[in-house]
Amino acid sequence: MSDLKELQHEFLNYLLQKPSSITNNIISDQQLSAQGRLDMYAHGYRLRLKEAIETDYEQLHAYLGDETFDRLMDHYIDLTLSHHPSLRYYSQGLPTHLAEIEPWKETPELAEIASIEKAFCDSFDSADCIAASVQDLSEIDPNSWPNLKVKFHDSVQLLTLEYNSFQIWQALSDEEVPPTRAKDSTTWLIWRSDLISNYVALAEAELSALNTMLAGGDFSALCEVLLDHYEESETPQQAVFLLQEWLSSQMICNIAITND
Amino acid sequence: MTRPFLGFGLGLRTEHYQFVLDNKPDVDWFEILSENYMVPGGKPLDFLDKIRDEYPMVMHGVSLSIGSTDPLDMDYLNGLKQLIHRVEPHWLSDHLCWTSVDHTNSHDLLPLPYNEKTIEHIVSRISQVQDFLGRQILIENLSSYVTYNNSEMTEWQFLNEIARRADCLVLLDINNIFVSAHNHSFDPLHYIQGIDSDRVMQFHLAGHSYSDKLIIDTHDHDVCDPVWDLYEQALKRFGAVSTMIERDDDIPEFDILRAELAVAEKIAAKTLSVAELKISHAKASGVA
Repeated sequence: MSDLKELQHEFLNYLLQKPSSITNNIISDQQLSAQGRLDMYAHGYRLRLKEAIETDYEQLHAYLGDETFDRLMDHYIDLTLSHHPSLRYYSQGLPTHLAEIEPWKETPELAEIASIEKAFCDSFDSADCIAASVQDLSEIDPNSWPNLKVKFHDSVQLLTLEYNSFQIWQALSDEEVPPTRAKDSTTWLIWRSDLISNYVALAEAELSALNTMLAGGDFSALCEVLLDHYEESETPQQAVFLLQEWLSSQMICNIAITND
Repeated sequence: MTRPFLGFGLGLRTEHYQFVLDNKPDVDWFEILSENYMVPGGKPLDFLDKIRDEYPMVMHGVSLSIGSTDPLDMDYLNGLKQLIHRVEPHWLSDHLCWTSVDHTNSHDLLPLPYNEKTIEHIVSRISQVQDFLGRQILIENLSSYVTYNNSEMTEWQFLNEIARRADCLVLLDINNIFVSAHNHSFDPLHYIQGIDSDRVMQFHLAGHSYSDKLIIDTHDHDVCDPVWDLYEQALKRFGAVSTMIERDDDIPEFDILRAELAVAEKIAAKTLSVAELKISHAKASGVA
């Protein structure tokens, strides 16, 4: 199949606007030249990728305006091949593209707005689970609690932003004029419950607690990390309170006692 | 082979999920785009399960890349197999094309040269896919804009030969025949007459757009009169074949698409007998 492989390789090069000999393999006729026919595919390639990006980054599009967003899409497409059979995953690299590449990285809220939209995309179709309940927690023997661990819903994500990008995103979503960029270091929790994506800004104590439990920590580790934020006598109560909050919010799929 | 006849269906689109659940419209079946549901979870699968409870379904893919010279994508095939298990479709289809090479996806249905070497390549890959999935698949004809200078036969000869040797089935897209006939200056009736009747399991109908010199398969318009005429000819040639309308852009209200589907039903009623159009949800041997 070396002939077919070579032909496909050259066809792809044409789509990617690289040097290609594929026109030698295509018949030109009175209706249209080989190049004119191949251009239908080259045009379609870029159009499809742009549609995928536009779908995933609606508010970034609104923030940048049509012309600049189109320039961004062209830049991203020029540098990014699609390695996944589904277009759903093509634009996953856009936040990194914006954070790392000139001229986009000079406007840091762009990468942050993109990372918010990507987080919601990921939350939207992350794996389902039957949420554990407060009742499940109450049925666990209190003597085993120090070794209690939880498995979070796959949609649970922490997003640390250095600017007021969430407020910008929120205003754009509400079709209001977004605020000017300002420093505002905040970590946001994003998760899905009842098929709806949710978000909330985290206080330091809950952020430390979530980081600990997401990293596989147990209830003892949770209490320990909360010592940085509460009096020692308060920490078990605060730890239970947080667990109950997460369970009520359908963020936890499973509670288990582990002895490792 | 007795061909199962599902009746008249529509492509299931996100814009219509809630309407379908709320109103249970009178549609015989839905075709889903497989890749839209090859995701871990969330709303797409939730709607899919609820609508599947109410309607027969078939699966239609765009990323099998059966003509590619890259190895078959086993991750993709495993995902497809899981979705088949979930949906229990009457059948599944993909296109006679390649979409990726060098592990890079074009997200387009790219044409193949019609020659013996390509046939051998594709027959081998369809056989591997059918063995892996444990069932026959349907292969669909494309709309295309180029002809390779190493093609040695017509597209319908190419499609017939692959279906015979791989023992797969055919999804005949009537609009694609019309589009390619215009773009490559052949008579679409020759295509209809040339296809082996016993392997055709499903028809697609769709709209298209005109560029300067070519017709583009955009699926963003109503089915046009010449395609309806060709559909009538196809019914005369093949008999009752499960028929659906594909609409992928500028998607109208559900009722408008339903009304368009009624045109297909009317043409079929005029062309075929009541007995021929009796819906059979029975799963044909080797198909489902």
